[in-house]
Amino acid sequence: MFEQFKNARKLLGLNARSLDYIRPYNKKKSKRLADDKILSKRALRKGGIPVPKLLAKIRSVEELEIFDWTTLPSTFALKPNRGFGGGGILVVYGRKKLSKKIVQDDSQEVSAPVWIKSDGSKVTVDDLKTHILNIIDGAFSLSNTPDTAFFEERLTLLKLFKPYAYKGIPDIRVIVFNRIPVMAMLRLPTKESGGKANLQQGGIGVGIDLATGVTTTAVLGKGKIIDYVPGTRMLLSGIKIPYWKEILLLAVKAQEISGMGFLGADVAIDRERGPVFLEINARPGLSIQVANLSGLRERLERIKGLKIKTAARGVRVGRDIFGGEIEEEVEDISGRKVIGTVEKVRMIGRGGVEIEIEAKIDTGANSTSIDTEFARQLGFGSVIDYFNTIELPKEFSREEAQKIEDNLRKEHLGKDTSLVDFVVVYSSHGCSIRPKVKVQFVLDEIMVSANANIVDRDELKYSVIIGKKNLGKFLIDVNK
Amino acid sequence: MNNVSPVISFLINQGVPLDTIILLLMLPVVVTLIAFFRQVVGIKAFGIYTPAIVTFAFLAVPQLRYGVAVFVSVILVGMLMRVALKGLRILYLPRVAITLSIIAFSILLLLSLGGYMQRTGLASVSIFPILIMITIVEKFVVAQIENGNRTAIILAVETLVISLAGYYLASWPILIRGIIAFPWMILITIPINIFLGKWDGLRLTEYVRFKDVLKNIK
Repeated sequence: MFEQFKNARKLLGLNARSLDYIRPYNKKKSKRLADDKILSKRALRKGGIPVPKLLAKIRSVEELEIFDWTTLPSTFALKPNRGFGGGGILVVYGRKKLSKKIVQDDSQEVSAPVWIKSDGSKVTVDDLKTHILNIIDGAFSLSNTPDTAFFEERLTLLKLFKPYAYKGIPDIRVIVFNRIPVMAMLRLPTKESGGKANLQQGGIGVGIDLATGVTTTAVLGKGKIIDYVPGTRMLLSGIKIPYWKEILLLAVKAQEISGMGFLGADVAIDRERGPVFLEINARPGLSIQVANLSGLRERLERIKGLKIKTAARGVRVGRDIFGGEIEEEVEDISGRKVIGTVEKVRMIGRGGVEIEIEAKIDTGANSTSIDTEFARQLGFGSVIDYFNTIELPKEFSREEAQKIEDNLRKEHLGKDTSLVDFVVVYSSHGCSIRPKVKVQFVLDEIMVSANANIVDRDELKYSVIIGKKNLGKFLIDVNK
Repeated sequence: MNNVSPVISFLINQGVPLDTIILLLMLPVVVTLIAFFRQVVGIKAFGIYTPAIVTFAFLAVPQLRYGVAVFVSVILVGMLMRVALKGLRILYLPRVAITLSIIAFSILLLLSLGGYMQRTGLASVSIFPILIMITIVEKFVVAQIENGNRTAIILAVETLVISLAGYYLASWPILIRGIIAFPWMILITIPINIFLGKWDGLRLTEYVRFKDVLKNIK
């Protein structure tokens, strides 16, 4: 029980959200921007952020009377400008043949379009008019103030999301604080939510690992933990969100534009346009904590007061400290690939021969070595044969090594086109003289050129060891 | 009445009725209780005004159950009217006006029904508490439109619960005697509210909402 109270300090409740984050960090002016969808859409577009196209807006009953319905496309979303929690949004998915006639200006007969909603029901111009009248009247706005209705381009569903989403478009909610993405979830519309992605309306929230963009746990509505999309066997965890880094970057950039310190950013992915920014939210919901089974407050407190200069840096920090697996992040920062101590490599030998083999990554060795037998397979047989004809000095001291290498080079280099050098190697078995050949290998998608020495390794497990000289582009994780 | 504060006796001597004095001094207590329910327990209700005014409406009716009966009928009729008026497609204010009118008729019916069933107490409920409870239907309709029927009903039940708690607190004889003896005691509600206003811990209802998260946090 005591443990529970201690852990409760890691969660963000409604009290702390208002008192400690919204009040101090979100100024009134920027909150007004966030609550005005048309205004924030314009500000975001100016800031270079892709947003859904604004098709038309209706500010008053007069404008509604003269509105030309035939200008609307077959699919669009109708929204209240100051709506909240996804209320008052009407989405149509297609247009029926122009069938019904309406009379305009007493004389002219104009055919009126009829649209189809997600549940297959018809939406007539009269339905739209009633809905818009309600919007203008303030039925969906905060504190019932008169509002503007607007038509917006409807985004197209990404193939990846198709089996998970009921009708509507899923979006990704990212909580951003202090230029750092703090927590994220994928929001999926369900039958209950009527194609809307808001959890308040009964949508599904799926937690996302910030580092990798892969989904983790899921919540239905405001608090029920689920594993599958209801009524199906579609597992909700393990979905890799495409454009992950771009999405986080958009969220942080939107925070910069909005001027708010703490916000929820909603980003959708359009099939053609890629990530498209939907809206900024001055009072993000708290169920994201259930979707991620993790506390927001603890995370927010960790990054309070950090000085983050750029959006890209903020994204890196967020993924680094809040992500479950940081490998990709390490690769991003260092520009190097993280590899384990044994890795598959594709060796490219003489005449383009390619063989894939497991190699030992050995930071104890200076250079790369290949087993004699394997070298033959790579087409270096002639080098080995030639090397075997050379009479090598048997006993020599360390001081003499340099001289021996020089002599061998003078005498034999150029005799075989693949023979590029000689080397005296000291190992635990004593010292040996080896020929060196030029090879290339591909390790974790990176091509490396190496001068590899050839030695009998047949009693050893790996035919190839990659040494320090050729590991400059990698970081080695011994646990991998 | 032995322990009466000089302030109270002064007010009584000026002709202020004792009931008025007690109700006015009870107001800070009731609203503080509502603030406590919101910030610490997490019961939302319809803001602060509605549960407070319903509390006083309950205090003003001769018997609590008649107050509750009126409250419940108002909400029930409000719910039915939403369904009834859905197909009519009319704007907000006219719709609320129709709803209020029908509720007025229903209450009249309820009162006469009370009279018919020999429950004269119901019929003798004064008009002001009834009017107060009828007007809260607007709050209910707004909640229905914005958050749906389910949430609206939950909010109505929460309002009822808070108002009942407020009623029992405000009619607690020890508290009433205490206020008459030490009216300045009411000033403690101010520091209590400052504390509530700075309280940033989880609400009790949030412990339930986040129980799965709490289990998973290490």
